[in-house]
Amino acid sequence: MLASLVHAPLAASNGSFLIKPSIGLMVWTLLVFGATMVLLGKLAFPRISEALERRQRTIEDSIETAERTRAEAEQLLSEYRERLKEARAQAEEIVQRARQTAEAREHEAKERGHELVAEASKRAQRDIEAATKRALDEVRKEVVELTILATEKVTRKALDDSDQKRLVEEALGELDFAGLSASASRN
Amino acid sequence: MNATTHDARPKRSVKRTLLILFGIYLAGLIALIAIYGFKGQRNNIYKPQDEFKLENWVNLGIFSINKAVVYLFLAAALTCVSMIYIARRMQQRPNKVQTAVELLFQLMRDNITGSSMDSRTAARWFPFIGTLFLFILFSNLVGYIPLPTNTSAKIDVLGVHIPSFSIYAATANLSVPLALALVVFVSYTVEGVRAKGPIGYLKGLIPGGVKGAITVPLFFLELLSNVMRVLSLTIRLFANILAGHLIILFMAGALAVILGATWLGWFTLPFGILLYAFEIGLVAALQAFIFALLTAIYLGGAVAEEH
Repeated sequence: MLASLVHAPLAASNGSFLIKPSIGLMVWTLLVFGATMVLLGKLAFPRISEALERRQRTIEDSIETAERTRAEAEQLLSEYRERLKEARAQAEEIVQRARQTAEAREHEAKERGHELVAEASKRAQRDIEAATKRALDEVRKEVVELTILATEKVTRKALDDSDQKRLVEEALGELDFAGLSASASRN
Repeated sequence: MNATTHDARPKRSVKRTLLILFGIYLAGLIALIAIYGFKGQRNNIYKPQDEFKLENWVNLGIFSINKAVVYLFLAAALTCVSMIYIARRMQQRPNKVQTAVELLFQLMRDNITGSSMDSRTAARWFPFIGTLFLFILFSNLVGYIPLPTNTSAKIDVLGVHIPSFSIYAATANLSVPLALALVVFVSYTVEGVRAKGPIGYLKGLIPGGVKGAITVPLFFLELLSNVMRVLSLTIRLFANILAGHLIILFMAGALAVILGATWLGWFTLPFGILLYAFEIGLVAALQAFIFALLTAIYLGGAVAEEH
């Protein structure tokens, strides 16, 4: 009993079936594999491939768009830079011109001021001179009259006007009023 | 200073968890040896290869439906449903799953297919190579999900006899990779003949620059190597997946059953888990990748001007 139990499976399965190909199973394999290939080839691979290609296209498009946008942006930037440079140059020019104008104006104003001052001082000098002259004339006249009065008192005799005046003028002519005049103009 | 304590804490806790796990493992091992003894009773009834035995579930002659056929359908259904589902919901802004599928798709289209042949041939053959990759990948991955498929050993759950859970893969059966490899062989031969004509294609087998008497033996050698491609494609995939399943099976308990030592099952279990992770994380995808890449290379070589 035990012997048969031990021996029966030994005889039935010595393992050679493992390396014996079976036509039936091979045919089944071909059928199943063929069906799988048809199904995958029709329903799976084209869709996956298409989806991958679509994504690839999208990525390429995005990259292209991004590159184009960047190029545009760079162009814009360079344009703006150019314009900015121009604007700066213009601004500098404007400032330069304004400075020049201002300097010219200042110069002019200074000139004008100098002129005015010079004119004013000339006029003042003239006035002073005129005033001095007038004062001297008055002094002279006073001196003449005082001298006449004094002479009359001394001589008890009135000189006629023309004589008197001539005499005094002569006397005064010898006196030097130049120093007086000079001191007056300095003041 | 604060940061270092924060860094140190998770490390220490991981270390502690590992230590606790190792302790449980060691304690279990000692306990099992203590209870059931070190020396086991050798079991001659259990044959691990029977895990891969195909029983006819629906009898249709040689086209009988068995476990391998069901796994084929399972893999195909999963491939189709997941890929078509994702393909129908392709978004402009992908989520994580879509990103992963897109990466996979680009790997298949650009790296496997596109790099091996000119773009016109690549466009024509991409559905074939892509399906090959996905079909093998899903077939391998489905193979690591334990499913109630072992009808020769039923378990009783509340009075219902259900087949015990086991792992199996269609690609762990010689016939499946062989059928696919034959399709590959036929495909690249037909494509080569179409591109260069029958004589041109056969001439193209001789490496460029070879002249004189050596061409005749070289031609037959190349012809042989072409045929061997079918075998290498088949056996690489089949043997990798079968070996992966077998070693997981052994580590997950078969060794203990055969040698009759209970502690051995406990001892090998961690290795089983590690190998399971290794198979599902690397081997499943790697074998699908290699199969598809070699197919693409053979196709590209068949239509290329210089061999």
